[in-house]
Amino acid sequence: MTTTGNAVLDAIRSRRVVRAMTDEPVPRADIETVLDAARWAPTAGNRHLQRYVATDDPTTLHLLRMTAPGMVQRPTAAITICTDRALAADFGFPPDSAGLHVDVGTAAATLLLAAHAIGLGAGPVTSFSRAAAAVVLRLPDGWRPELIVCLGYPAPRPPAPMRGRARLTWRDLTVWVP
Amino acid sequence: MADDPPGGLVLDEDEALELLAYLICAARTQVDEAAEYGPLRLLTAAQRLASAIAPRASDATRRFAEGPLAAWPALAVPREGREDYVARLDELCRTLAAHLTTHFARADS
Repeated sequence: MTTTGNAVLDAIRSRRVVRAMTDEPVPRADIETVLDAARWAPTAGNRHLQRYVATDDPTTLHLLRMTAPGMVQRPTAAITICTDRALAADFGFPPDSAGLHVDVGTAAATLLLAAHAIGLGAGPVTSFSRAAAAVVLRLPDGWRPELIVCLGYPAPRPPAPMRGRARLTWRDLTVWVP
Repeated sequence: MADDPPGGLVLDEDEALELLAYLICAARTQVDEAAEYGPLRLLTAAQRLASAIAPRASDATRRFAEGPLAAWPALAVPREGREDYVARLDELCRTLAAHLTTHFARADS
């Protein structure tokens, strides 16, 4: 195993969803580092149909949280992953194509790992009103907000996990076939 | 605020709007979410309301808001241990009812 390989695996294993954050602002340069990482997320056909809306504005974050029941934390920055539905349609994707959601997932995973890599806490939120978020974030027509990545510094005492569950191993989640 | 007499405004417009937004958006998101999240969303709304009213509420209401309700963990209904979850929720309802009985008896007297 190379040093880089170990570092990547360590980051994957040590990342956690952060559900409580301090009120310390996230430097704009750190947000940009995370956004730059998202550019490297794998996308189907290398089409890059996702767009990112970043904010560290307290009022915008407050409004976003009001309309996002799943946003338990109080982030000091947030990146909303959107899908450019008009561009997707140009490529021939039907509106409910599963592939578009897969690309949101790879983008989210990359953002979460990038935040972790530079010492930020991050938590994904999918429970929010898409209609309200589009207004709050002043999204262009055709951009659909899919997932919000909350960013901030982890609070010293995090809340209990959302769900108590025995630790799973890869064996619990995998079947081999011949 | 003193425990007697109860009454007076405990929520301002901004706080009320925040809760209003949460409830409306939760109604929408719940259409797409697993049913197990329903109680969690409602309890989160109750906790946010409690947090907002606690500073201006009566001592007894504040004790309930900052005690058993605030202590409720942000948990969806578990697939395993559902009975325990329901039992804890029933206990929270009993504690609430005891507070309501005292509060409204005083307010109505």
